[in-house]
Amino acid sequence: MWEFWVRSLSASTIFSVAALGEIIGQRAGILNVGVEGAMLFGATISFIVAKVTGNYLLGFLAGIAVGALIGLLHAFFSVTLGGDQVVNGMGIWILGFGLTAYIGYPYTGPLGLPRIPAIGGLSPFFFVSLALAVGIWFFLFKTHPGLKLRSVGENPSVAEVSGINVVRTRYASVMFSGALMGFAGAIYALDYNPVWNYNFLMGWGFIALALVFFSMWNPFLLVGGSILFGALWQVSLNPEALLPNVFSRYIWRTFPFVITILVLVIMSTKWFSSRWGAAKPEALGLPFEK
Amino acid sequence: MNIAGYKIKFEKKAGFSGLEAAVISIIAVLAALFLVGFIFLQAGVDPAKGYAEIFSYAFLNSFGVPLTLNRAIFLLLCTYAFILPMRAGLWNVGMAGQLYVGAMAAFGVAYAFGARTNPDLPAGIVLPLMILAAIAGGGLMGFIPGLLKGKFNTNEIVVTMMLNFIAFWVTAHMIKDGGPFMGSGGEGEGFKLPESLQPGLFLGMPFTIWFAIGLAALLQFLFTKTRIGYEIRSFGASPAAARYAGVDPFRISVLVFVAGGMIAGLAGYHYFGTVPGLFKIPKNYGDFGDLAFYGMICGLIARGNPLASIPLAILFGGLTSGGRFVQGKLQLGFGIDYAMLGVLMIILVAFQFFFRYKIVFKKEKEA
Repeated sequence: MWEFWVRSLSASTIFSVAALGEIIGQRAGILNVGVEGAMLFGATISFIVAKVTGNYLLGFLAGIAVGALIGLLHAFFSVTLGGDQVVNGMGIWILGFGLTAYIGYPYTGPLGLPRIPAIGGLSPFFFVSLALAVGIWFFLFKTHPGLKLRSVGENPSVAEVSGINVVRTRYASVMFSGALMGFAGAIYALDYNPVWNYNFLMGWGFIALALVFFSMWNPFLLVGGSILFGALWQVSLNPEALLPNVFSRYIWRTFPFVITILVLVIMSTKWFSSRWGAAKPEALGLPFEK
Repeated sequence: MNIAGYKIKFEKKAGFSGLEAAVISIIAVLAALFLVGFIFLQAGVDPAKGYAEIFSYAFLNSFGVPLTLNRAIFLLLCTYAFILPMRAGLWNVGMAGQLYVGAMAAFGVAYAFGARTNPDLPAGIVLPLMILAAIAGGGLMGFIPGLLKGKFNTNEIVVTMMLNFIAFWVTAHMIKDGGPFMGSGGEGEGFKLPESLQPGLFLGMPFTIWFAIGLAALLQFLFTKTRIGYEIRSFGASPAAARYAGVDPFRISVLVFVAGGMIAGLAGYHYFGTVPGLFKIPKNYGDFGDLAFYGMICGLIARGNPLASIPLAILFGGLTSGGRFVQGKLQLGFGIDYAMLGVLMIILVAFQFFFRYKIVFKKEKEA
């Protein structure tokens, strides 16, 4: 049982780091539906760098840096060019999916480095993700720059008039958000499952995106949701421990996705949104023009 | 910005003509192919030679042409599955899931008639039923995001993506590890259709090409000449204004997603049920789901125009089939077709800008 929880919490780490990134971007009003693409980039580049240099730290730094670059690209498309953010995000995702399949292919297989030491069996990054959640919550709700960031996501025109540089704030937020997605990908590829395979994420990024909607843009609720989905993911991988011989192992794999749809539907009902829907940043997804 | 005495400015466009859109789209495709040339260079292949190999295999080689054609039909159907919702401002990224379910439904009919053990089946009855099942299966899969979007305004991108993964694993369940559709070879692929259910070729092409051509005409007619097509377009342009004018959002969203899903289901039947050499759900069915995303690119470049999608589907059918070929021949890494997909998509995103802005060159006045 302990083994199961340890694996679940490690899985939840990846969901929460990626989704915390998405929260920062969305709080500043920029929607990035290409989380999976940024994660694939972070995972693939960090895997290649770590495999070639034999150095984990360099791998993580490369993953974070490439994530930030992807964030920069999304910010350029969405803030400077002012295009449809959904189209841009889909572009990020397909770019990540297509290019990493090509770039990573020669490195297919296990990483071949000693595993990152665990703390009581638990991935050390779980604690990093908790610290990140607390830090981001504190930044967003208790500091002046955090207030500025949120105001840019709620009403950019008013924010601009009150002396906040909307463009610069959005660029910084989206780059930071991309860096976290790259970091989440790196955690997957270097710690959670250090074996490269083409398009190995298989939906982690999209579940992280859905988690942001579930969390009502609150970092703590997000961590809770991530732990739930981490456990769900683990059940879907090893159902035999819990409910043997009910479904085939393939059918079990659909469970996290089915639950995501169900929760998303509940979240989007009138009943739910009239009670708790006010958290959504007002200007989310809208381009800003002076 | 000033270059050589000219002042360059970006001005917002009020709209653009069809010709202008075509020119921008063609430049976008060329720019993407140019960038992919750098991937060839990095792999030590002369880009000109790489493209010459791709195009000559795809459009001149007697092995390549049928492959290109099969892929073009498949991509065109996926494109139509994408553009129906796209014209209504909705995102169907679930073509992959819809085509898996369409294929499973078609093979389910064959299975129900005992195709695994009985080689002599009345094709005149079973084949039409397989096609209908594929259409119905895909439609059912499209109904889910359509219903959820229409009733609860649930994000259709997340829902269709989730359904892709669900359908992917259900297909694995059906064809692997002793699933009902597993073939006799024990290699984790679906059973093969008996010869009586393998439709012959017409002028070297699967008969599904008629569905693709028919749908092109039908969709063009739907969008330009019918009331419902007008409602779809006006809803896509401005949901609020359309609602005010009496368009029912629920009806539109269910309609476009069900119709889109039906077409994607047909695409699944086309590739797994009519292409020589397959006639089964193969082990690598996931590759075909990935290929379906080219349908999204076709639809975006064609800006939802059913007729403009045809040459694009042929081009991308050729690029992907030729891409796979040069990979082996010129010893490029795996996945040049995937890399191309990614680069095309991001260039397309960048070029959206030119549909909204025009570049104005002004001679600077002497100061």
